[in-house]
Amino acid sequence: MKNIQKNMVKFVAKPLMVLSAILITSLSFAADYPEKGDFQKGAKAWAENCARCHNMRDPKDLRDDQWITTVFHMRVRAGLTGQKTRDILTFLQESNNPPQPVKISSRSSEANNPSNMTGKEVYEQTCIACHGKDGKGAVPGVPDLTIPEGVLSQSEEVLLAHIRDGFKSKNSPMAMPAKGGNPSLSESDLLNVVAYMKSQFKQ
Amino acid sequence: MKTIQTKRKVLLFTFSLMFTFCASADEKYDQLVNEVEALKKQLEQVQSVLEQYKQESITKAEVQELNQKIDDSVITKERVDDLEGEVAKSGEWNSPNTLIHMAGYANVGYSSDSESYSVGSFSPIFHYQYRDKVMLESELEITIDEDGSTDIALEYLTIDYFLNDYVTVVAGKFLSPIGQFRQNIHPSWINKLASAPPGYGHDGAAPLSDVGFQLRGGFDFDETSANYAFYVSNGPRLIAAQEHDDEFELEGVEAEGFSSDNDGKKTFGGRLGFLPFKGFELGLSFATGKATVTDVELEDDVHALKSLAFGTPGDEEGEEIDLHDEIARDYDVFGVDFAYQNNGFEVRGEYLKSKVGSADEGITASEGATWESWYTQSSYLIPNTRWEPVIRYSDFTSATESRSQQQWALGINYLFTNSFIGKATYEFNDGAFDTNADEDRWLLQLAYGF
Repeated sequence: MKNIQKNMVKFVAKPLMVLSAILITSLSFAADYPEKGDFQKGAKAWAENCARCHNMRDPKDLRDDQWITTVFHMRVRAGLTGQKTRDILTFLQESNNPPQPVKISSRSSEANNPSNMTGKEVYEQTCIACHGKDGKGAVPGVPDLTIPEGVLSQSEEVLLAHIRDGFKSKNSPMAMPAKGGNPSLSESDLLNVVAYMKSQFKQ
Repeated sequence: MKTIQTKRKVLLFTFSLMFTFCASADEKYDQLVNEVEALKKQLEQVQSVLEQYKQESITKAEVQELNQKIDDSVITKERVDDLEGEVAKSGEWNSPNTLIHMAGYANVGYSSDSESYSVGSFSPIFHYQYRDKVMLESELEITIDEDGSTDIALEYLTIDYFLNDYVTVVAGKFLSPIGQFRQNIHPSWINKLASAPPGYGHDGAAPLSDVGFQLRGGFDFDETSANYAFYVSNGPRLIAAQEHDDEFELEGVEAEGFSSDNDGKKTFGGRLGFLPFKGFELGLSFATGKATVTDVELEDDVHALKSLAFGTPGDEEGEEIDLHDEIARDYDVFGVDFAYQNNGFEVRGEYLKSKVGSADEGITASEGATWESWYTQSSYLIPNTRWEPVIRYSDFTSATESRSQQQWALGINYLFTNSFIGKATYEFNDGAFDTNADEDRWLLQLAYGF
């Protein structure tokens, strides 16, 4: 019995270690070009420029390296500046790599800490590109936050979970990335932006 | 007497005692019997389990063999270290200096005018990028003819050098930057209807592609931005048609990216785009240069186009026509386009006019000609659904009367995903009587961009 357990460990645990090593190593190898752009500006530029010609594509449609060639292709076609190209690429790649799940305990402690940004600041920097200044949605498929009994009528826990983990609305052609694609947002930032959206848009 | 009574008492006591012992012995016996029965049942169960275990268990030899196999296949710590090292090396492909990526689109469909299913095209796009300095882009167009044979065309092939943040040098065969439809809207997963507007296909008012150099880029201001594309190219060629009375007239402009310039006269052109506020773009296009007649269509057999570039086509009597001395005519294009998007609503439009001057010398000397086309299109992605109705009106005026056409096109699209679209389009066509340009039709299409 002891041998069987030992062999099970060899069979399962070590391959898992190797697989983990492969995944971690793959993720750690990202192209060192182009220079990193501005996430918030990239979100805005992505929403405003890509829809000029075609339907919005989900950041998860392509790998990080595939987004490099795709965005450079679009730089030529759409007449984007180099900086705008880097901003859009940064937004897409960071949206493509959702943050690691946060432990409940650290969430609680984080939520108790004072926030670095107000809900308004979070909304205007991260959410406004897709949800629009008026909350009615700036790109196809984004739900209208001002509708009574709409998405904002859900509980704070549900809204936080959707923002934290990402969410795809029914019939929407694209999904909102985790934390709106901005992994630097803290739990308290999310709490603040939920409160802000409810105060601003909920009828 | 007393003795007899005493004996009776003793006997009575003895019998009483014996009876008590007998009763006690019977209870113990029953208890023992029950215990034995229970043990017997337990023993049978144990034997059954043992028998089952014996049948299911593997032999010692098999255990040893299995252990050996396990030992042989087990990844030792050293092997794990080796693998991690190999993984680290293999991971380098994710950050090489050159990236390779294939994109593209394809579409299949059905057309009611031919009552046929068809493969529209398969258009793979290849990207090879060296860091953020240079990119090679190439698109093939693979189609199936009516006879089942496969055609492959090089839609474009360019080397893009990213000179700085504002200028990209594009060299090679490129889609014409005149207007919006050809360079950005025509891929089937982007075009919201199953057909191109009349005048925006082959031999229409809009040039399709060119071979030469471009400078492209954009500028950002506070809340506005602008983009540009200027080019110099070999330019188009002209087709003339021979009339019965030996006179000629211009039949069409071939603007499909020739790799040689038969008249040596370059064409210059470009487009300026302005985005004054969010969601709106206004574009102005122009081109000017020279173009020469290199092909002749015979009126009696217009479908049998003679391929006559620098050649000597036969006239109606079969005599050869020498096109070497045809003079270069003026070629000018003007266009304006706009597009506006707000959430799921979109409206766009485009006007293009191509004008070729007259020639009073040469075999094909004739009056000039003009091709003109405009369209406006509106679509709306219904909120919280995947349905998208579309309406478009187009008006194409060709130098060849039989090709002129007015068209209303109504469509309904279903977005399976954001790049996989099902389209149903109905065209109300109004053209020359009893021609394809006058025939209404259904078009069904599945388009996938990847």
